Order: sequence, then C-alpha cells, then structure tokens
Amino acid sequence: MKQKKTTALFLALPWIVTLLLFWLYPIIYSFIVGFTDKQLLSKTFQWVGFDNYKALLSDDSFLLALKNTAIFVVGTIPLTTIIALLLALLVNKQFKGRGLFRAGYFLPSITSMVVIALIFTNLFQRGGYIALLAEMLGFTPPQHGFLLDSSTALFSIMAMDVWMAVGYYMLIFLAGLKSIPQELYEAARIQGAGSIRQFFSITLPLLKPVALFILVINSIKSFQVFVEIFVMTQGKFETSTMVYFIYEAGLTTKFNFGYASAAAYILFLIVAVFSFMQFRLLKNRGTV
Amino acid sequence: MKFVKKLLRYVLLFFILGIMVFPLLWMFRVSLMESGNSISFDNLLTASFSLQNYIDLFTNSQIGKYLYNSIFVGLIVTVGNIVFCFMTAYTIARYKYIVNKVLFVSVILILMIPIHIIIIPMYLLMVNFGIYDSYFALILPWLVNPIGIFLVKQYIESIPPAMEEAARIDGAGEMRILFRIVMPLCKPVLAVLAIQVFFTNWNSFLFPFILTQSDSVRTLPVALALLQGHQAIDWQHLMAGSAIAVIPVLIVFIVLQKQIVSGITAGGIKQ
Amino acid sequence: MKKIYLIAVLVILQAQLLSAKTTISWWQFWTDPSIKPVIEEMTAEFEKQNPDIEVELTDLTWANGREKIVIAFASGTGPDVVELGSDWIAEFAVNGHLAEYTVDEKAQEEFHGWEMATFQNKVYAKPWFLGTRVLFGNRDLLTKAGYDKNFAPVTFDQFKEAVYKVDSLSKKIYGFGSNAPEKHRLYKKYLPFFWSFGAKIFSDDNRLCLLASDYAVNALNYYKELHDSCGYVANQRGIEDAFLDGKVGFVISGDWLLKRIENEKLNFNLLSTLIPGEKYPGKSFMGGEFLAINKNSKNKKAAQKFVDFITSPENQVKFCKANRSANPSSKTAASDDYFTSNTHLQTFIKQLQLANHPPVDPNWVLFESIIEKAVEDALFGDRQTATALYEARKKIEALR
Repeated sequence: MKQKKTTALFLALPWIVTLLLFWLYPIIYSFIVGFTDKQLLSKTFQWVGFDNYKALLSDDSFLLALKNTAIFVVGTIPLTTIIALLLALLVNKQFKGRGLFRAGYFLPSITSMVVIALIFTNLFQRGGYIALLAEMLGFTPPQHGFLLDSSTALFSIMAMDVWMAVGYYMLIFLAGLKSIPQELYEAARIQGAGSIRQFFSITLPLLKPVALFILVINSIKSFQVFVEIFVMTQGKFETSTMVYFIYEAGLTTKFNFGYASAAAYILFLIVAVFSFMQFRLLKNRGTV
Repeated sequence: MKFVKKLLRYVLLFFILGIMVFPLLWMFRVSLMESGNSISFDNLLTASFSLQNYIDLFTNSQIGKYLYNSIFVGLIVTVGNIVFCFMTAYTIARYKYIVNKVLFVSVILILMIPIHIIIIPMYLLMVNFGIYDSYFALILPWLVNPIGIFLVKQYIESIPPAMEEAARIDGAGEMRILFRIVMPLCKPVLAVLAIQVFFTNWNSFLFPFILTQSDSVRTLPVALALLQGHQAIDWQHLMAGSAIAVIPVLIVFIVLQKQIVSGITAGGIKQ
Repeated sequence: MKKIYLIAVLVILQAQLLSAKTTISWWQFWTDPSIKPVIEEMTAEFEKQNPDIEVELTDLTWANGREKIVIAFASGTGPDVVELGSDWIAEFAVNGHLAEYTVDEKAQEEFHGWEMATFQNKVYAKPWFLGTRVLFGNRDLLTKAGYDKNFAPVTFDQFKEAVYKVDSLSKKIYGFGSNAPEKHRLYKKYLPFFWSFGAKIFSDDNRLCLLASDYAVNALNYYKELHDSCGYVANQRGIEDAFLDGKVGFVISGDWLLKRIENEKLNFNLLSTLIPGEKYPGKSFMGGEFLAINKNSKNKKAAQKFVDFITSPENQVKFCKANRSANPSSKTAASDDYFTSNTHLQTFIKQLQLANHPPVDPNWVLFESIIEKAVEDALFGDRQTATALYEARKKIEALR
C-alpha cells in the first residue's frame, strides 16, 4: 500500500516540479501585485488594498469587456461543440478519402491564430469576399466592413473562431469515439436498436468524459480569447474582451500592472465558478 | 438509393472541406504571387505563379534557423508532454488519494490564469535562473502542460480498469502496467495530445518573443511577426512564411492521425 | 613539461585579454527584408572601425516590441541602446531608465528634433530620423473633377471643395480617406487639423488643458464633415489600398506611401502637398525614432559611440534611402541630392518645418488614448464633437 502511494507521487513528480518551479511564483506575484498600484516602469508602488477591485467594478470599459466575453462564451461554445461532434461522426465512418477530409477539417486549427486573423481581416473588410458573398445572398454588408461596425464585429470574430476550433474538437471526439467498444453497438443492433437510438443510448453517454474535457477547455479558452481581438479590431467596435482589457491595462499605455492583475483574478474567479458548474453538471448524471 | 445517399454524403463532405480550406488556399495562392502584386480577387486568378517569395525567405532572412529552432524545441516539448502528461494523468485518474485530488485541482486552476499576467514574473524567473534567451527557457516550463494532463486523464477514466487489475493479480509491477498495458491503450489520445502540443508550441509567439532575444534561439512565429513591417504588410512574403509554418504541422498530423484511426482494437475487452 | 604548461596558460590568458571586447546590445525595430541588411551592414561597419566593441542586435516587432522593452527595463535587464518612439521618451526618462545625453553646440546645430527628447530641461535620447504626415492627392481624379494639373489645395476651403468635387465624381469614388479607430493612428489624423485651426493641447504655461477650445471643436467639426460626407472609412492600410486603387481623392499619410508606390511599381499620378490651413499651409504632426542609452548600461561610452555612428549623416542617408524615409534628423543628410531631387520628399522636408509634436509628458500615451477616444466617439459614436472634447479635457485634467 505504501509502495503504491510512493509510485503515485513519483508519477506526478514532473508536474509537481513544474508547478513549484515555474508556476507558483508568477501566480503568487501577480496575485499580490493586484493589491498594489504597481506600474511597470515606475520603481515605487503602494499598497491599495481592494481599491483595484472596487475601481474595476465601476469601470465601464471593464464591464463592457465582461459583457462581450459573456456573449463570446455563450455564443461559441454550443456551436463549436455540436458542429465538432457532427463532423466527428461524419468522418468516423469508413469511406474513401477519409484521411483527406479529416486533415482538411483540421487544417484551420493548426494554423497560427495570427495568420488566420490577418487573413480574415482581409476577408471581412469592405469589398472583401465575405461582403461579396453576403451581397450575392441578398444581404447588405456593413458599409465600412464587418469589423468596423459595432453590430457585426464581435459576431464576425466569433464565427471565425468557431470555424477555426471545430477541427480540433472534432479530433478529440474522434479519439473518444474510438474508445467505445464496438461490441456494445453489436449488442444493441441485435436487440433491434436503430442508429439514432444507438447514438443516444451508447455513443453520447460514453462520450461524456471527453465531452466534459471539451466543454471545460473550450470555455476556458473562450473566456481567454485575445489574439483575434488584438489583431483584428484592437477591442474597438465593442469587441474588447476580458483578456484584451487585461492586456491593454497591463501591457500597453501606462503598464498598470496592479490594475491588470486584479482584473485577471476576477476573470479567474468567474472561469473557476463556471468550470466547477460544468464538472458538477456532468458528474451528477452518474458516471459511465 | 444507396448511391444517392453516398453522393449526398460526398457533396456534404466537399462542401465543408471548401469552407474549411478556402482561407488557407488563399494563403497559398498569395504566397505564390510575385511580391508587390495587388491581392485583389481578379489578380488572384490571373497573376502568374512564382516560388520567389520562398526563395527570398530562405536566402535573405534567418527563416531556416528559426525553422530549425521551432522543430528542435517542438519535438522535445512534444515528447516530454507525451511522457509526463501521461504519467501525471494516470496517477490522477487511477490513484484516489487526496494529494491527487489536489493535483487535479491545481491542473485546472493553472489553466484558468490568463497568461498575460504571468509573463512578467515568468520573465523575472527566467532571468534569475539564468536561462533567459536560451533553449531552456523555451523548453523547461512547457514539458508538461495542464490541458494535456486533463485530456489524458479524461481518456484513461473512460477505459475500464479490468486489464490493469488482471495484470496486477498476475504480479506485474506498477511501471510495467503503466507503460506496457495502459499506454498502448491510450494511443489515440496520446496522438491527439502530441498534435495539440506540437501545434500549440509551434504557433506560440508571446513567450518565445519575450523570453529570447538572439536570432540563434528564436522560433518561427517570431520570424513571422518580424515579417510584418511598420506601415505596410508584404502579404506575399508573409503568406509564404505562414505556409512554411503550416507544412510541418500538417506532416505531424498526417503521420499521427493513423494512431487515432487505429484506436484500441488491440485491447479488445471492455466492461 | 611544467614550462610548457605555464606558457600555454599565458598564451590563453593573453588571448583572452586581447579578445576582451566590450559588448553592447541594441534593440531596434527595422526588420523588413529590404532594410535589415542595411542595419546589419552599419553595425558590421561599426565593429570594423571599433574592433574592441561588439554589437548584439535584437529585432523587435511593431506589434509587441514595446512590451518587451518595458518588461526588460522594468526588471533591470534592458539593452544598452534602444530605439524609442518620440512619445515614449518622457515616460522612460521620468522613471529613471534613460541616461542623460549631453548635447554639444555642434550636435545641437546639426540635428533636428532634440526638443522631442527633452524632458525637464534634460535630453534623454538622440534623434535618428523623424516622421511627419503630408496630404496626398490623386491627380487623375482631380483632373476629372475639373482642376488643372498644377492645382494643390492650400486653405481649408479649397481642400474641402476639392474633396467634395472628387467625391461627387461617382458613387464608387470617395473624396477623403478617413481612418477607422486604430490605435496610435486616428489621433494623428485629427491633430494636424486641430493645430492648423489654431488649437492647443495645453496652454503655453502648461497649466491648462485647452482641448475643448472653439478652435478644437471647429477642427473636429471640419474633420467630421469630411468623414461623414466624403469619407472612405477603413484602417490605415485599407485607406491606402483604396487610394492607390484610384477610389479615393485625398489621404493624409507618411513617407511609407512613397515606398509602397515604388515597391509595387505603380504608375500613379501623385500629388503631395502641405496640410491645408486657414489662409496659408497648416501644421502637421511630427514624431520620430530616437536612440536612447540605458541608465544601467555598463558601457555607456561604447554605446554613445555607437549611437553617434548610427546617426551620422552618411549613415542616415544610407538608412533613409533603404527605408525611403523622408526626414533624416541630420541637416547635412537632408541636404543630400537624394532628398533635394525628389519633389515628394521635398514636401516632407518642408512640412517638417511646419509641424508640431505632442507635448513631452510622461503621461502622454495616456492623454493620447483619451484624445483618440474623443475623436472616435465623435466620428463613430453618438457624441457631439464639443461634448466629446469636453469629456476628454475633463479626463486629462483629472490625471494632472
């Protein structure tokens, strides 16, 4: 028994060491800085207690960033998850050229976000392909382009994000589908269950651990959306998100690191609560 | 009837494929245009093809060196993650000690910290460790990552422990069980992990940029960022650089996707 | 045996002494494939002339370079020599990160732009090359609109009329390229009109913020009218694309536009002229790239030598030619044939005489973002011009 415990600890050693060496200090440092008025370039700073936190909660641009992030999270996660699952089911079957389609669908998620964002900035601009397409379909695209209009900018970025992410989650669903034993399907077939029934009574429940992973990771990533905002709109036209706000406060203009840290820990708290709920929700329905 | 169904399926498959690869086809097309050309739609169709941008990049810039650095760092980090994430994930998934619960919470919490807030103390740390501007700064902290641990842990939990228990009864040691029995069962997820780690690392910009300063250790995304000029974007060279960046990841994907496909048919037994 | 050993040690020691080079690090932003070779060539030439000094070059990106500089300086690990934009100098200086620069009379005479690096009567960086904005027009469109081939708008009224005339040529042609709210760009488009209308950011004694004066409101109204009625709205790059595509009559832009026309071998009938004013040409925006020395540098002398080398007139000409920069800081360099023989470059050199720079203030980056927000609100939001400027003034006053 004791030996087992040692093994358990030994196996976790790489993570424990990384945690202590590389993560612990930065986390403690930034947490403490959140209670000061530290500006990066200045050599002095003062304790301000909860002032940063108080100021944030009445800072309009912070609240706007909070709202945009919420829209982003609520808007993209269900879409990404469902499309990814459908794609996984589509390319899971045996057919000619399967590898090609998988690679093709996955391609966006292995391309650098910066490059994708640059390409889409071009596609979204006035007279760009997406505007032309919208006109062909009978819509009037925004006058100055999709990214220069408050009513379309955030949604355009969200659409791009879904486009980019589905390939990666498709892959994870695929790996999950592979872990389901074929015997279960055979047994179901013998009992006369149709494919839809099989999907709901076998595939879906058995995909739960993988689905939990996808939900949690996708929400954390969506809460932290940054690069696309940075490259495409710089937070203008109501696209500023939490991490963009943190970046802007902490790493541009006045390098107000204390304020940015406080904002980061508010975000941290929100994500933590959100993830905790997801864990709860998927656990309560009984484990596989 | 069956034929119609098959046809519909391929129409759908190709339609989606078109949506997914169109922007990247655009990237390749632009990268094959002569620099200075307009990237308007008409021009995309009519302009002549040329490899000049690729040649420029390899002759005029340090891109070869950057490419080497990216591959070197990427491979080490990927191998590290396969081993270490797997070990940690296994211990969290299978040993139900309090410590392990705490470990799992630590994994999730680390994920939730926005990196922009970490970057400055991380920089200080690297300077104090004396590994700023070296490969170590790009490798050591990233050898095991929380997303990877979480991913593998979720997968291991979906595998029934029957085989491990059988082996344990036969008297196999823990290490043997871990690497000989569980690891092969985890092939699909480890392949996903490898792809994910490789491409995340491959495209990572902010940390490599802040944590290095000499050309000799800088990686490809930094080179790509340097290709973006002050006031104008040289689309052709930038897209050529981006294409160079996509190709190796695509190769890694094609190599590893067989592992995902093959699944765990070898294992066989379930609940 | 022992002797040989001793000799060997001595030889090694001596070799080490001989190679005891001073290494200075230089962080800079010019990474463009057309210009990086010139940077490398200059540093190599410097090393050749000064065999005891080695230069370690680090490239910065435009998007994130400033973060890297700030993080490095904040943790005491900054480079010996760093390229800084003029608007950053005061902030670094006030926090004690930059070495003071002694300017002798000769240097004072030779170089433009010292005032942008002067904070509380001390100079903290050396001007390398400067930048300003001029008015560019499309001659073909102007001709179509009925102007003769030598026309150049001088006054606000002439300019506005020309913008309207070009705009009414066709539905697909716009009079004026108007910037979308892009950081560090939009306010540089408003400020020329602001100054040309006679407005000031601060009173001469620096006590009051005058951002919401009648002049300032008039300037913003004028700019907004161009934007609303004749504006082709896009980010800077989009505006320039459209301008070079023949869709836009006028844009305000910098010397990089000339570089682009040349690089893309465009056959463009370009008009370049000074920013318009009330009766005579108005004032433009001026900024510049400076070389500063880290206060913590252990090799300040070598660093100084290096800065003087890079900013020497010959090297400025070399650099400006490669980068198509129109405004070297050195007066000797500016009198080179390269600049005097080109009418468009001459426009820039003339405009520099008629240009203001933003106040040298450690909080300028903050003020800048406030002013930019006001312009953004007035052009793209629902704020009245006067209200937007008034709010900005309030915010700036609260910070002082």
